[in-house]
Amino acid sequence: MAGFLSLARRLYLTLYNWTVFAGWIQVLYLAVKTLRESGHEQVYNAVERPLLLAQTAAVLEIVHGLVGLVRSPISATLPQIGSRLYLTWGILWSFPQIQTHILVSSLVISWCITEIIRYSFFGMKEALGFAPSWLSWLRYSTFLLLYPTGIASEVGLIYVALPFIKASEKYCIRMPNKWNFSFDYFYGAILAIGIYVPGGPHLYSYMLRQRKKVLSKSKKE
Amino acid sequence: MKVSVVSRSGKELVKGGLDLSDSATVADLQEAIHRRTRKFYPSRQRLTLPLQPGSKEKPIVLNYKKSLEDYCHGNLDHLTVVFKDLGPQVSYRTLFFFEYLGPLILYPIFYYFPVYQYFGYKEERVILPVQTYALYYWCFHYFKRIMETFFVHRFSHATSPLSNVFRNCAYYWSFGSYIAYYVNHPLYTPVSDLQMKIGFAFGLLCQVSNFYCHLLLRNLRSPDGNGGYQIPSGFLFNIVTCANYTTEIYQWLGFNIATQTFAGYTFLVVAAAIMTNWALAKHRRLKKLFDGKDGRPKYPRRWVILPPFL
Repeated sequence: MAGFLSLARRLYLTLYNWTVFAGWIQVLYLAVKTLRESGHEQVYNAVERPLLLAQTAAVLEIVHGLVGLVRSPISATLPQIGSRLYLTWGILWSFPQIQTHILVSSLVISWCITEIIRYSFFGMKEALGFAPSWLSWLRYSTFLLLYPTGIASEVGLIYVALPFIKASEKYCIRMPNKWNFSFDYFYGAILAIGIYVPGGPHLYSYMLRQRKKVLSKSKKE
Repeated sequence: MKVSVVSRSGKELVKGGLDLSDSATVADLQEAIHRRTRKFYPSRQRLTLPLQPGSKEKPIVLNYKKSLEDYCHGNLDHLTVVFKDLGPQVSYRTLFFFEYLGPLILYPIFYYFPVYQYFGYKEERVILPVQTYALYYWCFHYFKRIMETFFVHRFSHATSPLSNVFRNCAYYWSFGSYIAYYVNHPLYTPVSDLQMKIGFAFGLLCQVSNFYCHLLLRNLRSPDGNGGYQIPSGFLFNIVTCANYTTEIYQWLGFNIATQTFAGYTFLVVAAAIMTNWALAKHRRLKKLFDGKDGRPKYPRRWVILPPFL
């Protein structure tokens, strides 16, 4: 019974990782193709459906952590996936005025490469029990460049969206109401940018430590 | 007796070690370390006995009141202790004072000053009676807490890391401002007159009970702060281990019943969660300490913090 369960777990996680991997491959293909053929203004339109799908599928990773399918704690996955969902749904999807911005291209390409490497890394691990060393080198090295470009694009896009957020009054709750509560999406966005300031370097230094740990271990073996 | 002081990486902290009399206490050792290092005053120091390499056990922390002999295990010539720097320390009184001073000053600013003009509300603000009562209730609460800090509480630990001051002040000051913003808002919607009276009356009752709980807790410890842990008893402590937290939580509930803001209820939930963690730890410690064996009293069956739930 236990053997069957662990087999089912591995089968499911393999399937999950490779499915999302395929999703990100599609996003990258469409993004590069559109970028070459019609320019960066069209990139969002071309990738919207697969991008939203692949990024939203990451919610399952939080679920996996919660039910104990994988070991990563939700305190680590929740902020990462939360910020991604905020950007895809809360900024890009909600404010079409910024969808033609050039930062969308750098954002999508940074995300794609990171995710393609990450999901294939985990997909290999679940399917074979190990990942080839070149893949784990990629997993723990590409972030050196792709995190700065990705995070800069994220912050840049929130910043570009600010005037549209303010003008639209979307997702705002105003006083007066019975529970004396109000919410302003504009200030929420400024707060989000504020969180990136300590959050970005924190994540980067965490990955640097991971890199040192993982790569020095694989050298010894 | 020769005492070697090493850091956790094994490096010698005090060159050549320290020579102390055989009857010296841990406090004497801490003083000696302070004299030699200058930087590390006693409350900054955490001294433990060295562990066997690879051991997963928790190290034994040296108690400053005990004598060094108690840790020597027969070998009275030489003792090795492991030193850890706990970072800059402040007294608990300082910590609490700055925590509570923020809300006490920030809340009235929202009531008395035309701050809402800067949030885009240009018209003259009409102050409702509930907002005035809430101001008095709030200020009384934090005034009481500051007075208790100086004249009632006896602390089991003398100091807290300085970094806690920044963390705790950020928590109290920002929540205080967040609640004050909504309760004093020009577009504030009050609850019914009856609900307001019930809320404030219940809250006040709980504040008085909370004060009485603090007096009872104070009397468990002797004035020199060396009381250690005792079984709390009397008044609500006969039912709940942490009656002081129970009354604190319920007095915030009273304030929220009367003022009804989302911000206030959020603070209530967060505060209750934090205090529940402390209460569970204290309950566990008391149950372990008073296990009814070897002549020790047995800890009676009690609620932890929030009867009839926990």
